[in-house]
Amino acid sequence: MINAAWLIPLLPLVGFLINALGKKWLSKNIVSVVACGSVLGSFVIAAGIFIGLLGGAGAQTLSLGELMNAGGFSVSLSLLIDPLSVLMTLIITGIGFFIHVYSVGYMSHDEGFARYFSYLNLFVFSMLMLVLGANYILMFVGWEGVGFCSYLLIGFWFGDNANNDAAKKAFVMNRIGDVGFLTGIFLIFITFGSIEYAQVFSSAAAMPAGLAVITTITLLLFIGATGKSAQIPLFTWLPDAMAGPTPVSALIHAATMVTAGIYMIVRSNILFTLAPITMEVITYVGVATALLGAFVAITQNDIKKVLAYSTVSQLGYMFVAVGVGAYSTGMFHLITHAFFKALLFLGAGSVIHAMSGEQDIRKMGGLKKDLPVTYLTFLAGVLAIVGLPPFSGFFSKDEILAKVFEHSTVLAVVMVITFMMTAFYIFRMFFLVFFGGFRGSEKQKSHLHESPAVMTAPLIVLAVLAVAGGFINVPETLFGHHALANFLEPVLRPSLAIIFSEEPSHATEYMLMAIAIAGTLVMFAVAYSRYLTKSHVPAASEKEQSFLYRLSSRKGYIDEFYDMIIRKPLDWISSVLNDVFDKNIFDRIVNSVGELVVVGSGVARLLQTGKLGFYLFIMVAGITAMLFFNFMF
Amino acid sequence: MNALLVLSIAGLAALFSGFSHNKKLAVIVSLLGLAVAFTVNVLDWNTAVRYYNDMIFVDNYAIAFTGVMALTMLLIVALFVDYKESVEVPNAEIFALLFFSLAGGVMLVSYSNLLMLFLGIEILSIPLYILAGSKRHTLTSNEAAIKYFLLGAFASAFLLFGIVLIYGVTASFHIETIAAYIKNANGQPPALLVAGMFMLIGGLGFKISAAPFHFWTPDVYQGSPTIVTTFMSTVVKTAGIAAFYRLFAYAFPAITAEWIPTISVLAALTMTVGNVTAVFQSSVKRMLAYSGIAHAGYLLIAFVSISSNPASSVLYYLIAYAVSTVCAFAVLMVIQHTTGSEEVDGFKGLSKRSPFLAFITTVAFISLAGIPPTAGFFAKFYLFSGAVKAGHLWLTIIAVLNSCIAIYYYFRVITAVYSEGTDSTPVELGTVQKAVMIITAVLAVALGLFPEMIISLL
Repeated sequence: MINAAWLIPLLPLVGFLINALGKKWLSKNIVSVVACGSVLGSFVIAAGIFIGLLGGAGAQTLSLGELMNAGGFSVSLSLLIDPLSVLMTLIITGIGFFIHVYSVGYMSHDEGFARYFSYLNLFVFSMLMLVLGANYILMFVGWEGVGFCSYLLIGFWFGDNANNDAAKKAFVMNRIGDVGFLTGIFLIFITFGSIEYAQVFSSAAAMPAGLAVITTITLLLFIGATGKSAQIPLFTWLPDAMAGPTPVSALIHAATMVTAGIYMIVRSNILFTLAPITMEVITYVGVATALLGAFVAITQNDIKKVLAYSTVSQLGYMFVAVGVGAYSTGMFHLITHAFFKALLFLGAGSVIHAMSGEQDIRKMGGLKKDLPVTYLTFLAGVLAIVGLPPFSGFFSKDEILAKVFEHSTVLAVVMVITFMMTAFYIFRMFFLVFFGGFRGSEKQKSHLHESPAVMTAPLIVLAVLAVAGGFINVPETLFGHHALANFLEPVLRPSLAIIFSEEPSHATEYMLMAIAIAGTLVMFAVAYSRYLTKSHVPAASEKEQSFLYRLSSRKGYIDEFYDMIIRKPLDWISSVLNDVFDKNIFDRIVNSVGELVVVGSGVARLLQTGKLGFYLFIMVAGITAMLFFNFMF
Repeated sequence: MNALLVLSIAGLAALFSGFSHNKKLAVIVSLLGLAVAFTVNVLDWNTAVRYYNDMIFVDNYAIAFTGVMALTMLLIVALFVDYKESVEVPNAEIFALLFFSLAGGVMLVSYSNLLMLFLGIEILSIPLYILAGSKRHTLTSNEAAIKYFLLGAFASAFLLFGIVLIYGVTASFHIETIAAYIKNANGQPPALLVAGMFMLIGGLGFKISAAPFHFWTPDVYQGSPTIVTTFMSTVVKTAGIAAFYRLFAYAFPAITAEWIPTISVLAALTMTVGNVTAVFQSSVKRMLAYSGIAHAGYLLIAFVSISSNPASSVLYYLIAYAVSTVCAFAVLMVIQHTTGSEEVDGFKGLSKRSPFLAFITTVAFISLAGIPPTAGFFAKFYLFSGAVKAGHLWLTIIAVLNSCIAIYYYFRVITAVYSEGTDSTPVELGTVQKAVMIITAVLAVALGLFPEMIISLL
């Protein structure tokens, strides 16, 4: 099976080519079959390989040739098949497949049906290259590919300029991160003489911890990760990215692409383990992002914005986990988050679909009657994300908390506060959408309907995963065996040899679980009384709100802040350069050269008199000149 | 060598096919003849045989250039199938003349004796004088013919004079004997020989339209029927350059110091005159004439770096130039026919009238301008990088600046194609015409993607 691994990225690429080239002729049915089938095919192969790995097959590098070879710099075109990449592949193709199926229903009325699916397949291809590539260049190629597809899909409805702005914002923010990532890759090549994982990691494992160059490399890589995975300071694009179709938000901006930063760090775990300073930076950035995201999510009234900030916050959790060296915990949360966040987004999509495009939760309410399947599956997602046992989020979140607690009590307290905020905004949204009376227009009310089976079936599958997904890594405290951690152990072995970690006592773990559950229940009660008992609906105007409320609803004024310290000065410099240097100096020089050529051409043209005698004269003069200059000098 | 025989016989066959009532027969005979000539030519690959008491030497160099010329002419003859411009001479006669001219071209790329060089030039040129005037009732065509003939005769005199001077010193017409003589002279060749060499430069420079011997080019190119112009600017140019290069590669490699400065100046002058004058032209046909002059200038760069630039870079350049030029002229013929004008304005609105033609035009002119990924870019790249390696930095800089100027006038056509036009009637194309355009455009891109195919030949 492992020899067929090259088919995994190839199938979606073929799907992309078929749908992109045939978008004018292919019927919607064929487009759907090609798009979904190609991803399903990849999933089946990946699953086969996964079973092989579980059965004890070792990691393997599958060489497909050479990408380039220039002056001592060579890049192989090879795929790395190991527990980490196969796990990511399963998430990408598995969740990706269900989101493709869901999209068939969600996008059924859209004119750009084939275009949408071609982009989606191209995205899956790029994402697979990102995780399967056996060197940093292939990872970067995939990294750029997913960024580009994200750009295309955010601006999918390019008729509205706001969507294009959101797409551009995502692209530019990611580019800033990419500069860091690319520079990091350059530095890796300079330091290790190779960009192949195998060489880099084996040389790194022999190095001492705390080297300045390793710290620099990892910091640069982390800058790349903050762009792609929406961490402070480069996170502002993700909420805007909700301009794209909702299934895109589920696939790209929740389950897969935004976790690329985590994957990159876990992949390079030995480098990060050797850079304690970077690890501290990652931890604090993660905690701050988790807190900020949750804080802003509390007051958002757009259902997708709530989920977007929630994603920012949850990605923060993952960074905290890898920051404290708990790589497998980060991966664990990445997986459970992929399940429940994809579910929540698709559920939100189903709600938006039923509400005829309405996204404002203030205009919803009482939807559980009309959307029973969406309601129940959404409930599963809610319970998973707030982390009530035995839903998936509970296991991964509490493992993070335990690891952070080992590292620092203060940070653990901040994390608990974040958990509580998370519980509050999630229940707030849930109650406002599904409970109480309907607050939308009559027209919307008459149109309310449950989504078709093609959309609810993926919801049900993801709901099952969100409920049960936590069992892949049950801790010993709860009579499990850390199955995921053991599966990933070969990838993390070099780091585990360095990180000395003491398992917290069972008493501590029980205590942390109790605190987290109690906090969640308290917030449930608060949200229940505020939004159900008192039927509170957020006000349209924010004037009478408190400062904290405004700080949250205006997203921490981060966009305004960036505008002030970066965009405005840049605009100013640019206008000065334009007015003074460009227009007055460079343009004049360039234009004068052009004018000179035109004038010269006008003169040269006159030599072409059409008179034979003149032509002959010039020929003779030419020969004479040749002889003269050659024999005289 | 067999190619020479086949071409001569095919020329006669084409001529006699004119007696048939079937108008298509001449085209079919010609295409067949060219295909056979190409095949027998290629069969000689890697044989390197000397013929006729060592008058011609069919080495791989000769075979490669003969192949290029035969294929180019094949494409041009194919264009005749749908050619609409009034040529008042029967097709059969035109084909026969083209064949004879090509036979001269084959001699020019395979000679090893200066007499064959002279004969080749004459055999190549005399049919061209007639072809240039083949629009008998058009004044400009007559003017083109007589101008070309008079100036050509003048240039032949230079050539002959040069050959005689060299013979006077070395007592030989054979290029390898001349080279051996020069080698024995230990870098101090007699002045008479050097003077003869400059005479040859003048005579051959006329043929490839190098400045200041280029003045005939715009008048003749513009006056001749477009299809003849296509032949002149591709097949004839290939023959001229290949003959010129062969002379310097075989006869004078030992005294590069004597001729490199002169050729450098000629190269710089030629490309500058060609490009700068092209800027002002409003007629695309005339512009292509000047562009042809400019390309001759670039090609002269290969001479000054003869030590570090293999002949394959010249071959590649000429192929790239030939396919792009045939492609551009094929479009021009359609424009001439549908709008009655050969001005840049005639291209306006083409993207609406025929997206296919618009695309073909874009590819052709982008390749002529030397923009990747087309063959035109790599052609320039190989020439220029060879010149830099040989230490001719300033010449390369001039060439690059000239390439910038060239972009201006080539893109004038492309922008016209995509701008609004007054006419919006769709353009109808003949099947063969379309096929030629597709083949040349595909080649212009494919050769750019796989330059090694050609570069590894010589």
